[in-house]
Amino acid sequence: MFETRSRTSRAVLQIVLTIAVIPFLVPIYTMVAKSFEGAGWGNYAAVVSVPGFFRFFLNSAIVAAGSIIIIYIATMMAAFGFSKLRIRSKELFFWLMMAALTLPEVVLIAPLYSTAVALGLLGTFWSVILPIAALQIPFTVLIARGYVDGIPDTLFEAARLDGAGTVRMFWSVLLPLARPIAVALLVLVLINAWNAYLLPKVFLINDDMGVVTLLPEFFRRQYNDDIPKVLAAAVVTAIPTIVAYIALQKQFERGMAAGAIK
Amino acid sequence: MTSLAPRTVDPARPYAQGEKGGRRRRVVPLIPGGFRWIIPALVISVGLIYYSIVYSGYISFFDWRGGRSPMNPIGFDNYVEAFTDPVFWTAIRNTVVYFVVVFAVQVIGGVFFAAALHSKVFLGSLYKVIIVIPVVVAPATLAPAHIQVWQSNGTVNAILESIGLGALTQSWIGQSTTSLMVVILVGCWGSIGFGFILYFGAMTQIDPEMIEAGRVDGAGNLRILFSLVLPNVKAITISLAILNLITALKLFDNVWLITQGGPAHSSEFLGTMIYSEIAASDRNLGYASALSVILLVIAVATSILIQLRSRERRAKVTKAVKAGVDV
Repeated sequence: MFETRSRTSRAVLQIVLTIAVIPFLVPIYTMVAKSFEGAGWGNYAAVVSVPGFFRFFLNSAIVAAGSIIIIYIATMMAAFGFSKLRIRSKELFFWLMMAALTLPEVVLIAPLYSTAVALGLLGTFWSVILPIAALQIPFTVLIARGYVDGIPDTLFEAARLDGAGTVRMFWSVLLPLARPIAVALLVLVLINAWNAYLLPKVFLINDDMGVVTLLPEFFRRQYNDDIPKVLAAAVVTAIPTIVAYIALQKQFERGMAAGAIK
Repeated sequence: MTSLAPRTVDPARPYAQGEKGGRRRRVVPLIPGGFRWIIPALVISVGLIYYSIVYSGYISFFDWRGGRSPMNPIGFDNYVEAFTDPVFWTAIRNTVVYFVVVFAVQVIGGVFFAAALHSKVFLGSLYKVIIVIPVVVAPATLAPAHIQVWQSNGTVNAILESIGLGALTQSWIGQSTTSLMVVILVGCWGSIGFGFILYFGAMTQIDPEMIEAGRVDGAGNLRILFSLVLPNVKAITISLAILNLITALKLFDNVWLITQGGPAHSSEFLGTMIYSEIAASDRNLGYASALSVILLVIAVATSILIQLRSRERRAKVTKAVKAGVDV
C-alpha cells in the first residue's frame, strides 16, 4: 500500500515496522526467557514428566474433535437444507439461528450450570462440547450457506435427473464442492475449541478432565508458584497452536475473514 | 423447545407444502423438501441457546443456590441488587473503557500493519506471524507471561529502570489505579493481529488501478490510505466494532487470570462478576442469571444499534452517489 520509491523511505518503513512489532515480542520473550531460569531445560523435563501432563492435551483433543464432528455434520446439513432444499418459512428458522450469532458464552453459564447439575452432565465432555457447538453453529451455518448459495443449482438438478436422491446429492455433490469452506471453518472451530477456557473451567470439574487452557493454574497449584515451571508449561502448551497456525495459515485467515463479514 | 416443536413440525408435512407451493410455482414441488436437514443445527444451536436464555430469565427471579436447594422467588430483587451494586457500575464503566480503547487501537494498529505489509518490506511473513501469534494462542496460556511482564519485578519495570525512568516503576497489577490499564493493554496486544488479518484480506480486494489513479492525481501515501483505502474497508471496521463490543461484554479469561477483577473490584467486568457468583460457595444462580440477562440485553441492543446506524449511513451515501449520477 505504502509506496516506497527511494531506498530511504523503504528503510524508514522497515524500521518503523520493526519498532512497532517489538511490543508483540516482549511477553513472548519474557515467557521463554524466564522459563529457563533456575534449572534450564530441567524445567521443561519436570513439566513434561508430571503424571497426567499429556492427559490435558488428550482432553483438549477430545473436546476439539467432538465439537468439530458435531459442527461439521450439523453445518453441512443445514447449509444444504437452507440453500438447496424447500423448507416452509425457511428464513424464519434461519433468522432464529442468526439471532444467536454474537451471543456471549458467559450468559449461558448460569442456566447451563444448573441444567448440567440437574442432568448429571457436570464433569462430562458433553457439557463443554455441546455449548461450544451451539455457539459456533450459527456462524458456521451463515458462512457455509453463503458458500453453498454460490454452487449452481443446475449441478443438483443434473444429479436429480440422473436419479440421485437427496442423500446422494448431499454426499456426492455438496460435500465435495463445499470442502474449501469446510476446511477453513473447521480450522477456526479447532482453534476456538482448543482455546476455550471459561466453559471447561466451569464444567470439567474432575481432576483428570483438565484441558490445556487449565494447565497454567494446574501448575501453579502443583509447583506452588514455581514461576519458571509454570512458564515452561505455558511454552509447551503454546507451541502446538503456533505450529498449527503456521501450517494452516491460509485456511485460518480465510475462516477469520469470513467471520468478520457477518 | 417444547413450545417450538408443534410449529416447526407442521410446515414439514409434505402435503401442506405441495398444496401451497404448487399453486404459486410449478417448479417448487420438484425441489425436495428439506426440513429434516436443518434439524440437527436447529436443535443443538437454537434449542440449547434459546432454552438457556429463557431458563436464565426464569432463574433470575429466584434466590437459588442450584441443585436441590430450595428456590425462593424474590421478584425483581436480583435486578435491583445489580443496579444498586457499585461493582456492577464499575464493571459497566470498565466495559465501555475497554471497548473504546481496544477498538481504537485495533483499528489503528490493524490498518497500519496491513498497509505496511502490503508494501514491499523485508521478511514480511515473519512480521505477520509475530503479530498473529497473540490471536491464535489461548489467552489462558499467555496470561502467566503477561503477569511476568507487568508484575513488580517484571519486564516493564526492568525496561523503565534501564532507560532511567526508575521513578515510574510500580506494582501495575496490584494497585487499583493501574490494574484496568494492564487488562486493556493485554487486550490490545491480543486483538491487533485480528484487525490486521481482516484489513490485510480486505486490502487485497482493492483494485490496484484505483490506487494507481490516485497516485497519478498526486495523492501521497497518507492521502491514499485515508481517502481510498479506508473507505473501502469500512465494512471491516463496522464488523470489528460489533465483535469488540461482544468481546468487551463477555471479557473473562485475561481479567480472571491476571487481576481476578481486583484489586478491590477495580478491574471487574460482567464476565468475571457472573463467574465469581457461580463459583462462590454462597452462590446465587439467580443473581448470576440476572446479570446474564442484563448483559444479553446490552449486547443485543447495542449491536442492533451499530448495525442500523451503519446501514443508515450506507443508505445515505448510496443515495448521495445516485443523486450525483442523476445530476
